[in-house]
Amino acid sequence: MSIAVVGVNHRTAPLEVRERFAHAPREVPASLQRVLSAGAGGGVLLSTCNRTEFYLAEPSDSTAETVWAILGERLGAGRNASEYGYFQRDRAAVRHLYRVSAGLDSMILGESQIQGQVREAWEASRPQAGPVLHRLFQSALLVGARVRSETALGSGAASAPSAAVALADKIFSRLAGRSALVLGAGDMAELAAGCLVSEGVRVTLVANRSYERARAIADQLGARALTLDEAWEHFATADIVLSSTAAPHAVVTWERVAPAIGRRGGRPLCILDLAVPRDVEPAVGQLENVFLYDIDDLQAVAAHAAAERHQEVPAAERIVSDEVERFWAWYGGLAVVPVLKEFRGRLDDVRAAELERALKRLPHLSPEDRAQVEQFSHALLNKFLHPPTIALKQAAQAGRGYGLLESLKKLFGLERPDGS
Amino acid sequence: MVLVPHLLALGLYGLATALALAPFAGLRPAPRALTLGAPLSGATAHVVGVAQVTPVGVAPVLSILALFLVLLQIVSERVFRASAVALFTGPLATGLVGLALLIGLGPGAAPSGGGNAWFILHVTLSVLGLALLALAFITAALYLLQFRELKSKRFGQVFRLFPPLERLDRLNHVALVAGFPALTLGVLLALGYAVRYAGGMHVDPAQIVWGSFTWVVLGSAVWMRVVRHWAGRRAAFASIAGFVAVVLVYLALKLAEPGTQRFL
Repeated sequence: MSIAVVGVNHRTAPLEVRERFAHAPREVPASLQRVLSAGAGGGVLLSTCNRTEFYLAEPSDSTAETVWAILGERLGAGRNASEYGYFQRDRAAVRHLYRVSAGLDSMILGESQIQGQVREAWEASRPQAGPVLHRLFQSALLVGARVRSETALGSGAASAPSAAVALADKIFSRLAGRSALVLGAGDMAELAAGCLVSEGVRVTLVANRSYERARAIADQLGARALTLDEAWEHFATADIVLSSTAAPHAVVTWERVAPAIGRRGGRPLCILDLAVPRDVEPAVGQLENVFLYDIDDLQAVAAHAAAERHQEVPAAERIVSDEVERFWAWYGGLAVVPVLKEFRGRLDDVRAAELERALKRLPHLSPEDRAQVEQFSHALLNKFLHPPTIALKQAAQAGRGYGLLESLKKLFGLERPDGS
Repeated sequence: MVLVPHLLALGLYGLATALALAPFAGLRPAPRALTLGAPLSGATAHVVGVAQVTPVGVAPVLSILALFLVLLQIVSERVFRASAVALFTGPLATGLVGLALLIGLGPGAAPSGGGNAWFILHVTLSVLGLALLALAFITAALYLLQFRELKSKRFGQVFRLFPPLERLDRLNHVALVAGFPALTLGVLLALGYAVRYAGGMHVDPAQIVWGSFTWVVLGSAVWMRVVRHWAGRRAAFASIAGFVAVVLVYLALKLAEPGTQRFL
């Protein structure tokens, strides 16, 4: 019995490789089926933008090779996928999944999105997961939840887009229902707008130098498209302005927006300037009730949160270690029961055979005496079996049963012909 | 029996203050159940203590003011999730209870003019109005601190632990709008009490001056917020100026008339 993880993540493979390995949900069953056919009792495929990992129960020696073959096909040109990945077994594999679920293995330490992705992977692979991985993933989700509730690993905003949300959140008591104006069509603005939308902010206007590009993004966000020159008036009404144009100089100047901001009646305005070079003139930030932040500020917020999260790593790792031992105790117990049963059965067969032979040599014994001798043989066997049985059960409960079990199998020839 | 619940409240308010200050000292924030449970338990003991004193003289009034501050702190945290209010209300309530104990609390005599219930209601509503004015001051101070943090782009403990600006502004608005009718009723009850029960009872001019001044300050603050639609930083400055003026006038009157026993 064993558990393994085979895969790649953001530490071992560059983005262009991870992109190729990523599996769409519809591709998961077929890949898993191939891996299970190569020899495994169960499998779950976790595929996100930062990792593609096959979790396997009772894999055979050739299963990892099959995984690398599947991933290698996606790389093409005869490239070897295993160069980018890792293979871990047993406790290390369990620890790996628990760390992933807790956000300890994420690119942004402590991010919570991974927990949902672990759940989705488990649910998508459920028919092929098997009971051991079913239990493993269930416990991984609990470990993730425990780490988040008992440590501050997930606190603060540790990425620039989430820092944008955190800053807006410190100005407005509720982000839901706030209106946002997006200037420019940069990727960062789109990403930050997505974060704000997920908090309930309504992107009502998208302005760009090119009206067509503005319209394309506005259509995606359910907003109205404007040209940049039409946007300045809307500084009077928007709650949040996200700016990320490709202009080589500041486009949001004091002269352009001060009159509109003057009509806000003291309502706060949060301007998030995500462009490099900056889109918004610093003088705009001096206006009353205007809170202007540029990309450096967002990164400062994110860095601050990341530093605080790093302080929580030892506490989170302790929780992971505790839970790995707890799982391993359960898993060890699972393996002990059938082996003990077989061990006892094998010795009982020996006892019965020897008893039969002895009784044949003692025909003069009365039925009562024969029964006494048989009783004696049972008692003797039980006395012999008691200490190893207890020791194995205790070792299994302590998570150390696996090694003892292997020794027992070897010493008493308990390996079945089918290898189980 | 007055002393024990007050001492208990004092200890629990001290604990609540320590819990509120802990994150600023780099310690892990206490669970919400504890940050709410400590002041709530203190307030429960405090109610038992306050119920046994007659609100005549400085010490009982300080004790009632402390109780209202803690109750407002709990409401601020429960309803507005503004736990940072405890940074001010915690030490203030602890100090006020401590001061009341030092001055001397005890079951007092009934007011000379009789009409005890009327008098108690007058004191209770007036002190509630004052506590709400204090809450408006606290939220205004928190607002200005958070405003400065956000404007100067310092993303430290104040940024992390203080509530959003809008929430503080809203709490300030609610405190002023709720405080004004409470104080107005308190003042009206004082007038009614004087006419109906006190008869020829002597009332210090200082009491009348301070009570009227506080009412005018609170009324002006409400007028600015509700009629003139002041909000944000301007309203915060107005709240702070009003509360400071009320405290300074009280101190000036107290110094001008030392030994006045009935003046609060």
